[in-house]
Amino acid sequence: MWENLNLKQVPEYAKDPYPSIKKWLKDKGKKAIGSTIADVPEEVVHAFGFLPVSLIGTDKPLKKAPSRLPDNACSLARSNLELALSYEGDLFDGFVLPQVCDTTQHLSDIWRISFPGKYVESYLAPRQVDRPSARYWVKEEIERLISSLSNWSGRSINDKVLNDSIALHNENKNLLLELYDIKKKNPGTITNKQFFSMVKLAMQVDKAEFNNTLKNIKANLKPKKGKNYTDVILVGITCDPPEVFDLFDEIKLNVVGDSLVTGSRYLQGIVAQNGSPVEALTERHMKSGFFSPIHDNVYKHFEEVKALYKATNAKAIIYVHIEFCESQEYDLPDLRKMIRQEGIPMHVLDTEYQTVSLSHLRTRLQAFFESLKGGSL
Amino acid sequence: MSEKLNSKQLSKKITDEYMEDAFRAHENGKLIGYSTAISPVELFVAHDIVPIYPENHAVANLTAKKGAQLCSITENLGYTSHLCAYARSDLAYRESGITVTKGIPEPDLFLACNAQCFTLTKWFQVLARKGNLPVFVFDTPEYVMDKRAREEIVKYCVLQLKELISFLEEVTKKRFDYDRLKEVMKYSAQSSILYKKFLDMAQYKPSPISIFDALIGMAIAVYRRGTPECVEYYQTLCDEIQAKVDQGIGVLPKEKEKYRLYWENLPVWFKFSDHAKLLGSYGGVILTSLYVHAWSFEFDLDKDPLVTLAENYVSRFSNSTIEDRVDMAMGYFKKYSMNGMIMFMNRSCKAVSFAVPTLKDILVKRTGIPALVFESDMGDQRFYAESQVRTRIEAYFETLDRLQADKPAA
Ligand code: SF4
Ligand code: SF4
Repeated sequence: MWENLNLKQVPEYAKDPYPSIKKWLKDKGKKAIGSTIADVPEEVVHAFGFLPVSLIGTDKPLKKAPSRLPDNACSLARSNLELALSYEGDLFDGFVLPQVCDTTQHLSDIWRISFPGKYVESYLAPRQVDRPSARYWVKEEIERLISSLSNWSGRSINDKVLNDSIALHNENKNLLLELYDIKKKNPGTITNKQFFSMVKLAMQVDKAEFNNTLKNIKANLKPKKGKNYTDVILVGITCDPPEVFDLFDEIKLNVVGDSLVTGSRYLQGIVAQNGSPVEALTERHMKSGFFSPIHDNVYKHFEEVKALYKATNAKAIIYVHIEFCESQEYDLPDLRKMIRQEGIPMHVLDTEYQTVSLSHLRTRLQAFFESLKGGSL
Repeated sequence: MSEKLNSKQLSKKITDEYMEDAFRAHENGKLIGYSTAISPVELFVAHDIVPIYPENHAVANLTAKKGAQLCSITENLGYTSHLCAYARSDLAYRESGITVTKGIPEPDLFLACNAQCFTLTKWFQVLARKGNLPVFVFDTPEYVMDKRAREEIVKYCVLQLKELISFLEEVTKKRFDYDRLKEVMKYSAQSSILYKKFLDMAQYKPSPISIFDALIGMAIAVYRRGTPECVEYYQTLCDEIQAKVDQGIGVLPKEKEKYRLYWENLPVWFKFSDHAKLLGSYGGVILTSLYVHAWSFEFDLDKDPLVTLAENYVSRFSNSTIEDRVDMAMGYFKKYSMNGMIMFMNRSCKAVSFAVPTLKDILVKRTGIPALVFESDMGDQRFYAESQVRTRIEAYFETLDRLQADKPAA
């Protein structure tokens, strides 16, 4: 299903992966477990023989979600709930949902009550990471997830199975990182949209199959430098709808670094393979950077973004704000100030899963980069 | 001995002394710790750190209708209008100094417990950045229903309370006194029992208190838990209310008390007294909410203080599952014989409000009582549509009247 896609097909599948997921599950006789972002260890879900699918919103119209979540809830949370309530709920046998912010405080309750026949488990990752108890708790939660999945499915897993799953996921991330590297240096080879669609699809489909696609794509690439690209850093949680990347491609921006959960934060998640897999997954969680909205302070986020900007020699930062994400909204004014003080040009894109006006985004982006070229920023 | 003060006088005295102590903290070698309203403040009290609650200060300003003015100052700083009005009004106070009180002293450290929300962590982080001050996040994972998970959650919380103690020792360079904590816990446990007794007096008919009395009466429980004066205050308050019960005095006279109502969420602070009057004119009195019960802790003094603290703080309504919240509310529906409910969707408080539509559906089903749902903001008047709210309240009481008229006589 996903083993032989070409570079052009990837964005099409990423835009709406669900028909292919449906067919695949039927063909393989497997079950899918959906998770909202971030940090649910998909390796564990995969080790049980389920297909872990990251739910990353839909641009289809909202019908049922507004009666559960009011219009000042973040666009991602509403859109995901809609995806499950109206469109693709049947595809999933269960969900593992993290609690990260006020919007998600009771979201797993809402999902559990909305889907009485399905398996719904919470993944309670800590909202502090600086103290020893955080590590203790991550490990507890991973172990709880394992025993919960085991109780529900009647199956059990051992270290070997979990390590195999980790190896497969690592391979996937390594392939994506290699492709990212090629794209950064040769923006004429892979577009922003194609690359970030690869990451997104990787978070949703069978890795064993998709790794073949990635290998084929890599083998067949003819690196093209391309001309007149402006290198930028992308900061945020997600960057949607995918047409936003079309805008970047249109005005020849080359994303050479990012802090997205659907980007580098995911790719950073390569897990060590020399010992207990649960310990290694715990370690991975503790080492992840780039996520000030939930548990890091904004200084750390700023330092990481600044380092990335300097290391890549980028020309500007694009901050992707998801409408009504309060976690971002508390950080943004200070982050913006720090970035400005550093003399780094930054543009904030306000995005929304359902009704974002692309022409408005385009005009603002163009104006920003024109003034950047004119040296007036 | 001086003449015994009534609860109102006592509340004023306690509050004045507390604020004076707070403003003099540094002179007296004490530090100021900003704290979330729901947090194990007993550790602060035992360690002589003066707890200050920016939420309380915000309430004073929002009740005095300063919300719109303050919130727009914060929005000009680049914050959006979708954030909690407590946070927005507080950030504006920092910027402009505008307040209807004497203000609050500047912080030395922060304790953010996310059993109520994650907003406070983010808000405290913003304040901490200004002075590069330490923030301790007491992370309370949602108190999910699985028994084993709960045991683990409590363990994680106890570990964190130990970390909090080390953090306090480090900041103050002073050893933590566990015996003192035990004493503080004793006061906290006593005052919590009395506070709950006060709230539970709403079960009498007519009810001697409404939620508006509860909201005024809860202040001392929020900021003076763990002190003997807090115990004294609730004893006095309970005695006063008991005297009303004994004389059959209600918020509304017995024959006028038609609708005994449940309120979901925080109040609309700037409409506080208007709502009481309006509802009263229909024979309605709001008796309780889970919010006011958030401070009726049940500390078990036979347990390790850190364990009973963890168990209590992690299981607040705001950190419990919707199913548990339904059960808690159902308990009060029965105990207080309530026959109506007002479900407020508060734009400010996402943590509490996003559960409300689901909660409402289940409560309506289980009680068979219709609900009045309205959307607004607890502190920012720009999101309050007076005529809409009035019309809905009127329509709601008409529905209740009709239902009552249709009911076969018992
Ligand atoms: S962190 Fe932001 S985007 Fe993510 S669920 Fe919370 S509010 Fe939505
Ligand atoms: S009103 Fe809600 S969001 Fe605001 S501080 Fe209180 S609990 Fe947090």
